[in-house]
Amino acid sequence: MSPELIIALISGAALFGVGIYGALSQTNLVMIMMGVELILAGAMVNLVAFWRYLHPDNPAGQMFVLIIMTVMAIEMAVGFGVAIARFRAKGSVEMEEATELKG
Amino acid sequence: MTAQMFFIGFFGLAGVWFGIVVFRTYSMVRSALALLFSQTALGAMFLSMQAEFLGVLQIMMMATEMSIMAIFMVMFMMDPGGLGTMDMTHQKRLSLITGFVSFVAAVAVAVFVDWGPVATTFPDAAQQTVDLGLELLNRSMLIFEMAGVTILTAMIAATAVAIQPLKRGKEK
Repeated sequence: MSPELIIALISGAALFGVGIYGALSQTNLVMIMMGVELILAGAMVNLVAFWRYLHPDNPAGQMFVLIIMTVMAIEMAVGFGVAIARFRAKGSVEMEEATELKG
Repeated sequence: MTAQMFFIGFFGLAGVWFGIVVFRTYSMVRSALALLFSQTALGAMFLSMQAEFLGVLQIMMMATEMSIMAIFMVMFMMDPGGLGTMDMTHQKRLSLITGFVSFVAAVAVAVFVDWGPVATTFPDAAQQTVDLGLELLNRSMLIFEMAGVTILTAMIAATAVAIQPLKRGKEK
């Protein structure tokens, strides 16, 4: 097995772990979005590594990376839309205060 | 150790380190900049893996995305400079354990799974771009178009959510 592939996969795993920690531990909406960005970045590193070292002849691997980038952009756009709406309504984007939908 | 292996490891480490810095600093602007550096390091890692198109795309896209994020941070945060050292975390222990367990599980999968033979031939940068272009306009065209439409829908939805609500019944 290629050591370059393993190094890339371990980097992706570390980014995924850091992103999970950030998304779960932060109370601010924008910081939670940063955690999700890191999780997606971890997935992207894995996809590029798999494409490069296992199937470089198949460009569908690159296509997957473009889809992840699209998901990142959508997450940012919708997240900031929600953040603006929340800030207008409550004056804060702290998610600990967002308990309106609690049963 | 080859030069490629060294640079992949170096930029991977830099990406992870800046990812950790995002949640360690009290300054929100520094957080956004750390995320920008993390994503840029990943772009450099892609370049080290000879994925030129994806590397350049990653750096260009994340530079603009994170700059916008920094502006939003300054707009929304109560203490964007981090001068008051306000703690904005909760369930820290649970989050740390979950993050660590996820990391260990992903590393175990990466190390113990047999991924099959490594490719010996690799297309050059120009050929990669040609292949991707043909892929986008042939087999994956529907997926590509759907991604475009989804972005457009997200933009409209985000604007609709963020727009100032009309005050009905109020005389002009």
